[in-house]
Amino acid sequence: MTDTHTALRRSPLAHRSTIKAMEHAARLSEVPFLGKLILRGDPAKIAKTVTGVAGASLPTACRATRKGDTAILWTGPDEFWIVTPDNAHAALADKLGKALSGIHHQVTDVSSYYAAIDLAGPKARGMLMKLTTLDMDRSAFTEGEVAGSNFGAAQATLWQTASDEEKGGPVFRLFVRRSMADYLWCLLAEAGFEWGMPRQAPLSGETWRLER
Amino acid sequence: MFLITCPYCGTRDQSEFSNAGEAHVARPANGEELTDEQWADFVFLRNNPKGLFAERWVHTAGCRRFFNMLRNTATDEILAVYEIGAKPPKVTTVEPATPSGEAPIGSGNDAVKVMRPEEPK
Ligand SMILES: [Zn+2]
Repeated sequence: MTDTHTALRRSPLAHRSTIKAMEHAARLSEVPFLGKLILRGDPAKIAKTVTGVAGASLPTACRATRKGDTAILWTGPDEFWIVTPDNAHAALADKLGKALSGIHHQVTDVSSYYAAIDLAGPKARGMLMKLTTLDMDRSAFTEGEVAGSNFGAAQATLWQTASDEEKGGPVFRLFVRRSMADYLWCLLAEAGFEWGMPRQAPLSGETWRLER
Repeated sequence: MFLITCPYCGTRDQSEFSNAGEAHVARPANGEELTDEQWADFVFLRNNPKGLFAERWVHTAGCRRFFNMLRNTATDEILAVYEIGAKPPKVTTVEPATPSGEAPIGSGNDAVKVMRPEEPK
């Protein structure tokens, strides 16, 4: 039964494939099937236990921490996202629930609710600058930074996963609700058009014009 | 457009935030004893001063937390942000006089002030 399930599941952007701008300027790809948990609780009370179970320490405001392939993102003063590889989240949620029993907390599986899009390359900042009011200068938004904001008409959580100095960097990961994933994908492609990113026709037929 | 400093995330553009009306409006504890007028005052009627005003904001696109703000409604100067449940800090601001000397309320319409019932004690 489990195998049938795996074979049938479909990521929110399964109908899109990776697209690139000219000369490695930018690259847009979906990161399908990541595990995503929302963890809520008083950081002062849950920090030690969470680090014991998830490995990474609880991040400070607007930051992310990593241990191996598990990351913890700050999304609010008493709210964190735990991002894991495919299928690792269920066991982690179970362990967290057991370890935190007796401490006021909540663990929610939101893996299927959010799509993850990776935007990489030297022009990634320029593309994001067209869509958001966040300060996307490399001195202001750095590796490990996390921010919720609006990107065009979509609300998303932005996380810089690789620094500007890294080969192929910087890399930004956007978590967006799955119903908005295709919209954001096409809007990002449009933002990269001036650097040669191919235009993508939105499934729901939106039209837009970005300043160029 | 102006910049707002979320007490949790720092300074962000106003477009990430939503206004949630006047702050420090306490739900009456003795609900069953209130008259319709007193209920209407709690549910519908809010102050609309020209000058210093305590209001709630929510960081909708960011951390999604409510917080309080002291803002001068005439100049949009933000004088303080503070957490829900905290007392407003003492601030000073210029309450601007208008050339026509109208009442210190947002609309400039004296009738609005006259229609407002007495504050419940
Ligand atoms: Zn915030």
